[in-house]
Amino acid sequence: MIDIVNVSRVYHRGADEIHALESVNLHVSKGRFVALMGPSGSGKSTLLNVLAGLDRPNSGEVIVGGRRLNDLSEDQLAEFRAHTVGFVFQFFNLIPVLSAVENVELPLLLTKLSRAERRQRAETALRVVGLTERASHLPRQLSGGEQQRVAIARAIVTDADLVVADEPTGDLDARNAEEILSLLQTLKRDFGKTVVIVTHDPRAEKWVDEVIHLDKGLLLETRPGGASGEMAASR
Amino acid sequence: MKYLPFILRNLGRNPLRSLLTASAIALAIALVCILRTMPAGMDAFLSAIASNTRISTHNEAGMVYAMPYSYLQKVRAVPGVVAAISWQWFGGAIDPAKGVEFPNFAVDPEDFGKVYEDWKIAPQALEDFRKYRDAAIVGRATLEKHDWKVGDTVTLQSTVFPLQLSFRIVGEVPNERASQFYFQREYLIQAFAAAGAPIDSTGMIWSRIDDPERVAPAMKQIDEMFRNGEAETTSETEKSFFGNFFGSLKGIVTIILIVAGIVTLCIVFIAANTASMSVRERVGEIAILKAIGFRKKTIFTTLLAEAVVLSTVAGAAGALISLGLTSLLRSSASGGGGPQLGPLTGFIVTDAILVQAIFISFFIGILSGWLPALGASRRSVAQTLREVF
Amino acid sequence: MALPLSYSWRSLIARGTRTAFTVAVIALVVIATTLFWSLIGSLKRTLVSSGSPENLIVMRKGATNDGSSQLSLESLQAIRFFEGIARDAEGNPLISPELVVQPFFATADGGRENVLVRGVEPVALLVHDEVALVEGRMFNSSSGEAVVGRGVSRRYAGASLGSQLKFGRGTWKVVGILESGGSSFESEVWVDARELANDAKRTLPYSGFRVRVAPGTDMDALARRIDDDPRFALEATREIDYYESLSSSANTLYIIVIGLAVLAGIGAVFGATNTMYAAVQSRTSEIGTLRALGFSRASILFSFLSESVMTALFAFAVGAVGGWALGLFISWLLGGIAFGAATFTTNVIQLRVAPSDLLMPLALSVLIGVFGGLAPAARAARMRPVDALRKA
Repeated sequence: MIDIVNVSRVYHRGADEIHALESVNLHVSKGRFVALMGPSGSGKSTLLNVLAGLDRPNSGEVIVGGRRLNDLSEDQLAEFRAHTVGFVFQFFNLIPVLSAVENVELPLLLTKLSRAERRQRAETALRVVGLTERASHLPRQLSGGEQQRVAIARAIVTDADLVVADEPTGDLDARNAEEILSLLQTLKRDFGKTVVIVTHDPRAEKWVDEVIHLDKGLLLETRPGGASGEMAASR
Repeated sequence: MKYLPFILRNLGRNPLRSLLTASAIALAIALVCILRTMPAGMDAFLSAIASNTRISTHNEAGMVYAMPYSYLQKVRAVPGVVAAISWQWFGGAIDPAKGVEFPNFAVDPEDFGKVYEDWKIAPQALEDFRKYRDAAIVGRATLEKHDWKVGDTVTLQSTVFPLQLSFRIVGEVPNERASQFYFQREYLIQAFAAAGAPIDSTGMIWSRIDDPERVAPAMKQIDEMFRNGEAETTSETEKSFFGNFFGSLKGIVTIILIVAGIVTLCIVFIAANTASMSVRERVGEIAILKAIGFRKKTIFTTLLAEAVVLSTVAGAAGALISLGLTSLLRSSASGGGGPQLGPLTGFIVTDAILVQAIFISFFIGILSGWLPALGASRRSVAQTLREVF
Repeated sequence: MALPLSYSWRSLIARGTRTAFTVAVIALVVIATTLFWSLIGSLKRTLVSSGSPENLIVMRKGATNDGSSQLSLESLQAIRFFEGIARDAEGNPLISPELVVQPFFATADGGRENVLVRGVEPVALLVHDEVALVEGRMFNSSSGEAVVGRGVSRRYAGASLGSQLKFGRGTWKVVGILESGGSSFESEVWVDARELANDAKRTLPYSGFRVRVAPGTDMDALARRIDDDPRFALEATREIDYYESLSSSANTLYIIVIGLAVLAGIGAVFGATNTMYAAVQSRTSEIGTLRALGFSRASILFSFLSESVMTALFAFAVGAVGGWALGLFISWLLGGIAFGAATFTTNVIQLRVAPSDLLMPLALSVLIGVFGGLAPAARAARMRPVDALRKA
């Protein structure tokens, strides 16, 4: 699904040059649930941005779903993201002036579906995350966990193959965090999606197939996560 | 557009800010509309009242310089002149303390109707005007203002001659903006004779030319005729005459338009500030939208649309406010500012002005929203995510 | 613990662009209001300031202005030696007979306006003591010469000192410039009375008389005596009252301009308040920090308020100077602002920004500063520090 070949990313903050990624190589197979972990500043978020088509590397190749992202223009990348990637972030996920179902509908505005069809898909997605009765609530009326679940619903509403999440449990308490991680695992298991998350929450380890460690822009090691055994068992 | 509900909701994010900005825009547009009525009033006045086949002839030195009455006959003989009458300023006031409230003149009744054919004065009125020595024809604006009607008797005290005369109103000039008051020259002459001071001069001569092409040659011929005579004359078209008459108001109108321009500029600044503030607050959100797959152009257009919708709706409200305010001004402005301010105090907000107002507010929206929307749409998503998180 | 004023001052400088922006908005508002108010002020000053408290104006009964009155030589001779009329050193009564005519003048840019030409005798300068000859000399009689008011010299073709001025039936040489502290005499042209009567073919030589009253005289009694004289139908009024009645022709314009100024002012207050509101709102977290550090609500409120008032006052200064400069420029560009007076002649008004014209714009600025700064600062100061900090 994802192939990162020799990717480096350098950016400037003021006068400083920050080497976020140094010749990183990564392969993620289709249908895997992967966690990118490491201390702050390790480059994990940058790596996520690169494989999701949000950021361009300075060197190296990025191939996702068979497409070489390096060749795509800004608009083409936007289109790619709209069809292929679902996003969940730590903050600001939801538009505060839209209700839950309207937020989930948002990516569908980019398609040619009719209003009725959009609404229907959005309601289905909400059902998957178990928030049907909150459909008309505004984000401020939802708890942190519920907001993240709405974000996940939005991430799957276009039937994207890849779901990326940057610190999805960062702001949540233990119980809600577990719920979100379990939901993300469901996406992989029942819907066949490839899920890549960035986290420094150690609890995540037991839910994922693979844990990838980064530090100072370098990929240090890859090891199986707690769920990898489960996957073998379900085959 | 399917994004419209989204745009409207965004305006509702900070209701106070949207309201303040909208109020400022609405009031500024109302102001601009009202100010625009002034020059517009001038144009409307000129095109409503002035005819392109009517010319005035007066003493070159000035209107207070008289011409011999015998000039009238000579003008009538000029080829192309269909009919001509004289005007003598009476300067009559209802109450001398209040001064002259509308222009009033002694004129020649026989050809009056012919010279002012386009005013469509009722034939019966014209006949009575010729028949009765003390008859008067009054413009509708003056009739309405003083609550007079045909058949009434009014008395005017002249502020230039030691005379007080009573008149019988026999007809009106059927035009909303007409304020003139005409009576028979003979009546004035008789009053003068009775006071022992004969009068043989006139202030102005107005002639109707048969064909617009012949206007220029006729004017030339008239002035040539009287060159080196007792009084040299200047002939000009009616439009030119009134244009000159109110031309001195140009200075005030200029200032007023400049101020309108400054106010508009100010509003653009204010609206731009609002737009940039509201965009800056949403930097994170906009980044997410771009992440999800919305293109730069879409983001730009929806953000710009916010500013434009706010501005245009506020502008429409302002235009409506100006309609209300001008009708208030019309009913309160005493005497319509008198003959000096004339058409400036018409305060009529025409359709053209309303349309212009909507356009102006539309452009205010575009101007104020352009840069913030552009900046937001262009921001790198990755950069924003780095900064915000 | 009170926040030092320098905190306010430094904050403004640190947020350079934001402050500059707010200043620009308020300054524009001040410029617009200043122009409007100085227009009214200049109008008023020109129209109302004319006239001397010690003069009477005598016209024919029923005339509303001296352009429409006609008086005979006999009437002049009749009242010349009335008691109560001041005398000069040689014992001549200070009564100035004058003839007013309103011929066309060509403006510098090709327009045509009526100008008040006053035919006078040398005694006029003594009776109108507000009028002074500041350049050149007084005209000689029967020489085709004229002296012109300052406003006239700037506005009309051929009206500058030394030029040939064309009006009436002839050409007149401009030999002097008159000034009268900005009153309406600066919009007049003075020539020899007899020459003017000739030019305008007037049968009666005068329009009115200006009478200087001797000190200590009961003006009203003198006026009544003139009125009651059975031989002529005369009417005497205090000059001050006369000019005030003329200025009422501008009343409608006052109402219009004031109305517009109020409208503009309200709109501006809304808009500028919005700008200031936004500026303070963005500093909510800063306020939270200050509160956390222990500064009292009152001190924060005062500090932010003084910041916004300082901004507004600075903007006022910028706007006042800008408005003053713009007014001068417009005046220069248009050759003065013309306004048609009740005499159907043109009063040339120099757009001048007097201190009293700045009162309204100042009030507006303070209003904006207070309202714009008060509400958001109060709200922020009232927040719990922890909430304010979170609002980063």
